[in-house]
Amino acid sequence: MLNTTMNWIDDRTGLRSLARRVLDRPIPGGARWGHALGFALASTLAVDLVTGLLLMSTYSPSSSTAWGSVYYITYQMDLGWFVRGLHRFGSFGAVVLGGLFLLRLVLIGAYRAPREVHWWLAAGTFLLILGLGVTGNILPWDQRGYWAAMVETNIAGATPVVGPAIKKVILGGSEFGNQTITRFHALHVSVLPGLLVLCGWAYAVLFGKDGYHGPAGSETAEPYWPRQALYDLAASSAALGVLAALTLAFHGYSLDAPADPSSSDYPARPEWYFLPLNQLLHVFEGKEFIATMVIPGGIVTGLLLLPLLDKVIPRKFAYIASCSFMMTVALAAFVLIGVAVYKDARSETFRKDRAKADADAARAIELATLNGVPPEGSAYVLGLDPLHRGGEIFGKKCQGCHSLGDRKADEPSAPDLKGYGSLAWVRGLLENPGSPAYFGKTPQCNGMSKWKKSSQLSAEELDRVAAYVASFATIPADVTPAEWLDDPRVKEHPGRELYEGECAQCHTLGVPGDASERIQPAPDLFAWGSPRWAARMIREPGSPSHYGYLEKKKAQKMPSFGGQLTDADISTLVRFIKGDYPGSGKGSR
Amino acid sequence: MPNRRDFYRLGAIALGNLFALAVAVPGVKYLLDPLGKSSGGGEFRTLTRLGRLKVGEPQAFSILSERRDAWVKYPTEPVGSVWLVRQPEGSKEPVVALSAECPHLSCPVPLAPDRKSFLCPCHQANFTLEGARINEVAARGMDRLPVELSGDADPEVRVRFERFQPQSAEKKPLA
Repeated sequence: MLNTTMNWIDDRTGLRSLARRVLDRPIPGGARWGHALGFALASTLAVDLVTGLLLMSTYSPSSSTAWGSVYYITYQMDLGWFVRGLHRFGSFGAVVLGGLFLLRLVLIGAYRAPREVHWWLAAGTFLLILGLGVTGNILPWDQRGYWAAMVETNIAGATPVVGPAIKKVILGGSEFGNQTITRFHALHVSVLPGLLVLCGWAYAVLFGKDGYHGPAGSETAEPYWPRQALYDLAASSAALGVLAALTLAFHGYSLDAPADPSSSDYPARPEWYFLPLNQLLHVFEGKEFIATMVIPGGIVTGLLLLPLLDKVIPRKFAYIASCSFMMTVALAAFVLIGVAVYKDARSETFRKDRAKADADAARAIELATLNGVPPEGSAYVLGLDPLHRGGEIFGKKCQGCHSLGDRKADEPSAPDLKGYGSLAWVRGLLENPGSPAYFGKTPQCNGMSKWKKSSQLSAEELDRVAAYVASFATIPADVTPAEWLDDPRVKEHPGRELYEGECAQCHTLGVPGDASERIQPAPDLFAWGSPRWAARMIREPGSPSHYGYLEKKKAQKMPSFGGQLTDADISTLVRFIKGDYPGSGKGSR
Repeated sequence: MPNRRDFYRLGAIALGNLFALAVAVPGVKYLLDPLGKSSGGGEFRTLTRLGRLKVGEPQAFSILSERRDAWVKYPTEPVGSVWLVRQPEGSKEPVVALSAECPHLSCPVPLAPDRKSFLCPCHQANFTLEGARINEVAARGMDRLPVELSGDADPEVRVRFERFQPQSAEKKPLA
């Protein structure tokens, strides 16, 4: 029955004779390990194809979803990290094996007549592998891929005459965005693999025509099956073993923080196999076109012309020249990669920037795991994070004057904001208002210090009034002063009476009274320390309810940031200052 | 007697299979990932107070919930709706909650124009106000959801929303 079916299939397709032709193909000089290199390359590409199809079943190509989907593959799906890691390390394997394959074709003399077209197809395959690396690297839309692609497309854009147009077409516009990712995606998953399969198929056809390239003058021949088949499969398995071992050792391939076009200190590096060109940029500083155009163009032209060298110079010299060319390129690439890695390892700046990038990546992954990716897109994973975004704004806008615990001010001229709005902060203020952590650096705000000199409150009384003031920070945004003051819990607060006796001599509480009755002007304390009070302070510190009374003095004042920060940034900043974020130990959400 | 040739032959076959398995096994596990993910049972959510429901007049309520769609988390939004049907005084359950998802093919089920039964506009599946089948379009009656009442004088009605497999005669949760 089985036999009948097999016969029928063979009759209609000729499969059996094809298999026999492949398995019985004679190898001049016998089976060799070197012959297995091409098969190992093909099977590595097959692994990339299979893992690529698997990744495609989850990956979502748009600037708002790409990072989230790759995060999901890497950190949420069963063995997603393995599939993605194998795909990535598989691409490295294909580059190495492709390079070795070309090198071997030259060394054994299998690149020239009658095999010129074999060579062109093999060289084309290698270039396609590099192209797949470039287009694939950007797809996760993380910092690594984004900035590498930025450099690469700018190099393409520097091509004389047509460069800017080429760049615009590749990016799908003048900026990186959705069109960039969909275009790179289309190239990576259909155009380039299609061409690669075409090259491989054409190579197989030519190989069927010309057979194995044996040592000159070998008279014996051995069939492919079974020894060469074993060599082929052993080499492929060894390659896969190495790639799987790398994947396991690094637990897949890391994912950087989501692409952030505004980042200023990301240490952009290309994939390792483009490091030689990157190094050449440094070598030819000021004459970059040599590194970006002349040398790569020369190498590609050289590769394409190698088999034709025989036509102009004697065969023997052409062979020596070809071998020297290949060895020089390979050696130079190897050395330049070494130099690049060594320089980065020695560079303090690179290590610092890289450490920051790693911390950002870890934070983004932590947030995506805790909160998921916001529907607005992966850029908002860190963009809405108080710790990351709020900390960044604090550094740029506030840290000139304010410290925040360990983050020391450049020139302290304002209170330390660590614990701002908390009981501890208020109690500390009432204990020693003139300390540098409070109003010691702002002589124009000396009201609290004056009060302290005359105040007779005991420590226990200070505790009570501090608890009352600290409770202002918890007043919800939609509660009016009248409603709040009417709340029995507020009316019966043990600190209230003391507050009325001491603090209310200067501070109002949401109800502007007669200013002349106050000893001296001071901020209104209704909802003091709450997000709305703090946001108003940042937006408009000179408003009457806050430090408006300073406007008349010539003293140094906090600038207003109303026009400089968006509402979202202000609320993010307030949450950062108050330590209200996931992972801070007291965060909401 | 195995000879050198047999060794090559068996070795090639073994390595070929090993190679294929090394890629196929993780690949299949990866593809089957959704089987291992549970949708996570919902919790009881307060929809209304019992006093606002009238006997014989079913009312529809939206179920609001945070929704996680693979890597994206959406803020609170409607994820489904339920019909609350007040039962006559003295019934075992004072209120019945029916998922508005049709057990036939998951269309949302409204009241029939005469407001005396539920009638699915997609394929005319018809149910009584208690959710029992009137015709044979759906394989089972409308799905009842667990209801909790608070201890107040006018108790809050809380419902736990859940989805069930369409088409089957039994009520099987969509895991």
